[in-house]
Amino acid sequence: MDNIIEKMRASRRVLAEYSYKPALIEKGYSGQTLHINLSDNTIKPKTVTQQMKDIFIGGKGFGLWYLWNAVKADTKWNDPENEIVISSGPIGGITQYPGSGKSLVVTISPLTNSVMDSNVGGYFGPYLKFSGWDALEIQGKADKDVVVFIDGDKGKVTIEEITIDTAASHLVSKQLTELLAESEKDKKNISIVSSGCGGDHTRIGILNFSFYDLRRKAARLKQAGRGGIGTVFRDKKVAALAVKYSSLSGRSNNPADPEAITRAGVKITREINKFDDEQFRMRQIGTANLMTPMNDYDLLPVHNFKYGSHPDAVKISSEVMRSRFTQNMPDACWVGCALSCCKAVDDFELKTGPFKGEKVLVDGPEYENAAGLGSNCGIFDVDYILEANFYCDTYGIDTISTGTLIAFIMECYENGIINKENTGGLELNFGNADAAMELIHQMGQGRGFGKIAGLGVRRIKKIFAEDYGADPAFLQDIGMENKGLEYSQYQAKESLAQQGGFALANKGPQHDEAWLIFMDMINNQLPTFEKKAEALYYFPMFRTWFGLQGLCKLPWNDIIPEGNSQTDSPEKIPEHVQNYVDIFNAVTGKNIDKAEMIRQSERVYNFQRVFNLRLGFGIREHDAAPYRALGPVTEEEYESRAERYDRQLKEDVGIDPAGMSTAEKVKAMRKYREGRYKTLIDVVYERRGWTSNGVPKLESLQKLGIDFPEVIEVVKKNL
Amino acid sequence: MVEVNGISVNWEEGLTVEKLLKQMNYTFPKIVVRVNGNIVDKKYWAEYYVTDQSVVQAHHLIAGG
Repeated sequence: MDNIIEKMRASRRVLAEYSYKPALIEKGYSGQTLHINLSDNTIKPKTVTQQMKDIFIGGKGFGLWYLWNAVKADTKWNDPENEIVISSGPIGGITQYPGSGKSLVVTISPLTNSVMDSNVGGYFGPYLKFSGWDALEIQGKADKDVVVFIDGDKGKVTIEEITIDTAASHLVSKQLTELLAESEKDKKNISIVSSGCGGDHTRIGILNFSFYDLRRKAARLKQAGRGGIGTVFRDKKVAALAVKYSSLSGRSNNPADPEAITRAGVKITREINKFDDEQFRMRQIGTANLMTPMNDYDLLPVHNFKYGSHPDAVKISSEVMRSRFTQNMPDACWVGCALSCCKAVDDFELKTGPFKGEKVLVDGPEYENAAGLGSNCGIFDVDYILEANFYCDTYGIDTISTGTLIAFIMECYENGIINKENTGGLELNFGNADAAMELIHQMGQGRGFGKIAGLGVRRIKKIFAEDYGADPAFLQDIGMENKGLEYSQYQAKESLAQQGGFALANKGPQHDEAWLIFMDMINNQLPTFEKKAEALYYFPMFRTWFGLQGLCKLPWNDIIPEGNSQTDSPEKIPEHVQNYVDIFNAVTGKNIDKAEMIRQSERVYNFQRVFNLRLGFGIREHDAAPYRALGPVTEEEYESRAERYDRQLKEDVGIDPAGMSTAEKVKAMRKYREGRYKTLIDVVYERRGWTSNGVPKLESLQKLGIDFPEVIEVVKKNL
Repeated sequence: MVEVNGISVNWEEGLTVEKLLKQMNYTFPKIVVRVNGNIVDKKYWAEYYVTDQSVVQAHHLIAGG
C-alpha cells in the first residue's frame, strides 16, 4: 500500500490552483459557491445571493438553480455545459440533530435526459460547506482523468492529475484518503467522491461519497445512486473529488441559536434511545428492517414486480440480514446521528470477479439493495445479495436500477423474448444467481450482454423490440421504468396513491417523494381521490424540504415520539415536523412556520417541474406508468391473487367474474385501474395548481414567487 | 361483524385486539389501534375485548423507506 501511495504522490501534477480565504459560516451559509470548469481548468467563486437563499434555500434548490443557468433547452447529459452540482443546505453539517449530513446532487441524467437529483450521506457536503463553499458546480470536460481537491484547511482548490491504478471505487476512496491524510486520525477529516468503471460503461453510474470509519479503519461509502450521475461524472473525466476539513465542531455551522438546536437534538436522541429497539430497530438492522414486513404485507417485489411476497423470502428476512451485520454497533454516516442506520459486513469473502478470494467490507445491504437484487430477481440468497451489493458499489452502478433491469431481463428471458444466444450464454431465469452475478460484472466492465443491460430498461426495451422482434406493448407493460428511470423496490399494485407517488415524481419513480402505501392500502386513510390527491400534494412537498436543507428524512418517521398517536395527524409525525421548523429557525435566524416550510418546498418542486418542461418533458404523457405498476399484466399474475381480484371486480367494478375467462377478467381489471389512474392524475394536477396537461399555471407560479421571466416563457410555450 | 380499516371482518366471542390483528396478519411493529375512537395501548391488546359491531382503526405508522 505504501508503495502505491508513494507512486500516487510522485505522479501529482497540478493543472490549476486557486487560493482563497475560507469564508466564515454565518447562520448555515458560507455565502459563496465554487464553480469549476474542466474544459479550460478555471476555478471561480460565486456569491450566494439573498434571492437564492429566499427562493431556493440550498441543497437541491441551489443545484437546480445553477443547472438552470448553466444549460440550454437542448443540452444533453454529455454536453460540456451540463453540470454536476453538489450542495448540502443550511442545516447540513450540524452535529446535534440526527440525520444532518446529507448532500444533494443535481445533473441532467443519461437515463431520463432531464433533471435528476439524488441524495447521499457521507462527509463531503458538510466538509465542502465548512471549507467555505455552499455548493460545488462541476462543468466542462477534462482531457484526461483529473482529481479536484478542495483543501479547506489551507484555503486551496486544485485540479490535478494523479495516477490512480484502479477504477474500483472502494480502492479509489481508500487510496486517496491515504494520500491526503497526514495521520490515521487525520483520515476522518477527508471525504472522497468517486464513481467506478460502471460510470464508463453504463448509464446507471453512481457517485460514492466516503466517510472514514475510525473503528473499522476504512473509508466507507454512501451512494448518490439514482439517475446515472456517475456516468456524467466519468464523461467529464473526473476520477475523484476530495475535500479536507479538520476543524469540525458543534459550532462549525455557526447557527443563530445553538441552544435551540441542542434542545431538539437531546429530545429526539432520548426518543431513539428509548423506543428504537421496540419500533423499527434502525440501529440494529437499518432499513433492511423492512424486508419482513414488506413480504408480510404483499409489498416486497418478486419476479419483476409480479408479486409482493414469496415463501423463500424468509431466507433474506430482516433477521437474516441482522445476523450478517458485524460489529453490531450503532453506525452513522454523519457525526452525531443517533439513529445510526448504516450497517456493514466486515471480512466478507468474495466468490467471483476481479476481487475473488479477497475479504472486503460490504456497506449494507439496505432494504432497496436486498429487495432489488434479491427478491425482485427471485434470488433468495443473502450471500449473493452481499456480493452483488459490494460489486455494484465498487463498479459504481445503481443497485436499484440494477435490480429492476435484471428482473425485467429475466422476465423477457423466461418469455422467450431473448435467449442464450442473445445473452452470450447467460441463462437469465429468475433465481439464477450465478448468471445475475456475471451480468453485473459484464455491466461494470462493459463486456458482452452487460453493454446492453447497462443502458437501462427504457433503452433495453427498444433494442429487444427492434432487434429481437419483441412486442413493444408487452415490453411497455412489464418494463418498470417511468421517465427513463427504473422503479424503486415496492410492489404497489394495491395502492393507487403510491402509483401516483411513483409515476408523478419529478425525476422518475423513486419513493423519496411519497410513500403512501400503508396509509392508502392498509390503513384506508385515503378512500377518495381528493384525499389521495391531498396526500400527493402534502407529502412530496414536505419531503422535498429535506433535500433543501442537507437533511436525511429517516429521523422524521423512523422513530415515533411518545404521544404521537394522540395528535390530529399521526402520519405526519407533527412533533418532529415542529422540530425541523425550530431547527431551521435556530440555524438561519428566520421565523418560518409549518405552512412556510411547505411553501419553501413548493417553490422548488414547481421550479423543477418547469425545468423538466424546458428540457422537453414534464407534461402528462411523461407521468404515465407501465401497467405492471398499476395491476396484473398477465393471467399468471391475476390467478396468483384471484380471490382478491375477483372480489374487486365484483365489489368495486360492479362486474360478476363468474363465468369470465381469466383473460377477460385481466382486461376488465385493466380498464378499471387505468381509468382510476387517469382520474387520480386529474385530481392531483388540480390540487397542485397545474393544468390538465400537468403544466404549472401562471397564477400558481405567481403565488409562489417564482414567476421569473425565463420561467414564464417556458410555461407559456406549454399552455 | 366488526369493521377494521374499512373492511368487514367476522366477529366471534372472546375477540381481543391481539387476536384481531393476528387474524388480519398485521405484523408491523408500530400500529396505533383505536376501537370505536378510543386508543388502546399496546400493553392492553391481549386483554381488550372487541365487541360485535365495533369500528377498529389499526393505523400502521410508516411513511416510507
